[in-house]
Amino acid sequence: MAAPSIHPGGTPAPVTMRPASRWTRAAVLARALRVGIGVAATLAGYGFIVWLGTVGVYNLAYAKGLVPALWQGFVLSVLIVAVVIPIGFAVGFFVGWARTLRNPIVRGLASVYVDFFRSMPPIVLIAFAFLLGLIALRTTIADPFLLHWIILWLGVLALAFHTAAYQAEIVRAGILSVPSSQSEAAQSLGLTRGQTMLRVVLPQAFRVSLPALGNEFSSVIKDTSLLSVIGWLELSGLALVQIYSGILVYPLAPVVIWLEVAVFYFAITFALNSSVRVLENSFKVPGLEAARL
Amino acid sequence: MSTLSIRAVEKWYGALHVLRGVDLDVEKSQTVCIIGPSGSGKSTLLRCTNLLVAPDGGEILLDGVRVNSPSIRPEWVRQQIGMVFQSFHLFTHLTALRNVTLGLVRVKKLDRTAAEAKALQELERVGLGAKLHAYPAQLSGGQQQRVAIARALAMDPKILLFDEPTSALDPEYIREVLDVMAQLAKDGMTMVVVSHEMSFAREVADRIVFFDQGQVVEQGTPEEIFDRPGHDRTKAFVGKILR
Repeated sequence: MAAPSIHPGGTPAPVTMRPASRWTRAAVLARALRVGIGVAATLAGYGFIVWLGTVGVYNLAYAKGLVPALWQGFVLSVLIVAVVIPIGFAVGFFVGWARTLRNPIVRGLASVYVDFFRSMPPIVLIAFAFLLGLIALRTTIADPFLLHWIILWLGVLALAFHTAAYQAEIVRAGILSVPSSQSEAAQSLGLTRGQTMLRVVLPQAFRVSLPALGNEFSSVIKDTSLLSVIGWLELSGLALVQIYSGILVYPLAPVVIWLEVAVFYFAITFALNSSVRVLENSFKVPGLEAARL
Repeated sequence: MSTLSIRAVEKWYGALHVLRGVDLDVEKSQTVCIIGPSGSGKSTLLRCTNLLVAPDGGEILLDGVRVNSPSIRPEWVRQQIGMVFQSFHLFTHLTALRNVTLGLVRVKKLDRTAAEAKALQELERVGLGAKLHAYPAQLSGGQQQRVAIARALAMDPKILLFDEPTSALDPEYIREVLDVMAQLAKDGMTMVVVSHEMSFAREVADRIVFFDQGQVVEQGTPEEIFDRPGHDRTKAFVGKILR
């Protein structure tokens, strides 16, 4: 191979890119199929419930009447997820970052945070947030509705702090996966430590962290059901209420209710996982794809 | 006044005395080649020079200004001292063009258009004008190293440091990198090159420095060091690499 000239006179070899292979086209198709299957599964789940009713396994009118009742719980669950994930990620991100810093005090505090919140079952955290809130605020907040509203949201915060501990470890693992040579190269250009983190380390760390973060996000969705123990009427809480009243008039009520709740949870989780998938694709680096065996 | 003066620089790694009072001057537009056994502290000397590693003693003077001083920001120093690494260390998530513009935009505060024009100019200078949008993983080792050189050049450094720039390359790519470096020397770039590439050292270097056990043992023109080494240790080492 001839050495390329550094003068414009020598023409460099033309850029040769791999043509869109059969496999990349297959990947696009697979992605479309995946979304299709998710939507189809949701509809099929609903169809199955309807079918069970029409063939007389249970009372179809009752099952249909439940949907609007559970819908409010679904909306509330989505709202809670929309609060827990951003707060959990923001806290988790900084705690995870803090655990990679040189300052032993900052690092130590972050480690204590992770150790504590990872050791507590989320249901215990939620219960304590609620009870401590109640005890501490009972005398200062006179309005019982406001007090109730505040302590319910304290439970939500507890869940956010719980997931933050897990996300912190995911973020830390991502940061550790970027070799120190990358920051050396950045600092050699004169970038500050902050710029090096923001422009060089974090973009590469996120690429690695996203699948694990997606995992944690789906966990959070399902953990929101624990909020029913302090009286949240989200999907699970509302399901319990419906069961208490429904079982008296109709013995199969719990089966129908949990089936519908399952379909709702699936819809939230599937939508979120698909969004993470889109994000993952946007972080893909040509030439750095994982091995496909 | 020398572009770079290293005065009595000391570095310890724990109990290991890596640099034992190193003195070295590099004049403007000179190319200095540092040779020496592995583990002798050559890389550490380069890293101390751009303050990636803080020297434990001595002075680093850049155009007569002492830069290893608490009153001088290390970022300001590194911006003026380019560094090319053995394993390229390109930013894996950025295209060739973005690898070069990063420092221009974030450190030199150029706007995107000006930065891209400058980056294009430097990438063409190393023969990679056609690979602007390729990611490092899509480039050969020789191409990656040339992008790394363009990235360092774009900052308009006063001096360029090369830490064994061809040691990680497949033999077929060594020539293209050395050619780029030779052209830089011809263009008047001030360079310090840690390398055992004999052809480069002989033809391009103004001065060869033999470095061993954390000290400059001997220095002189390529002829003096390779053909008439004065020191026994130099003789032994040169004998080995000239095989």
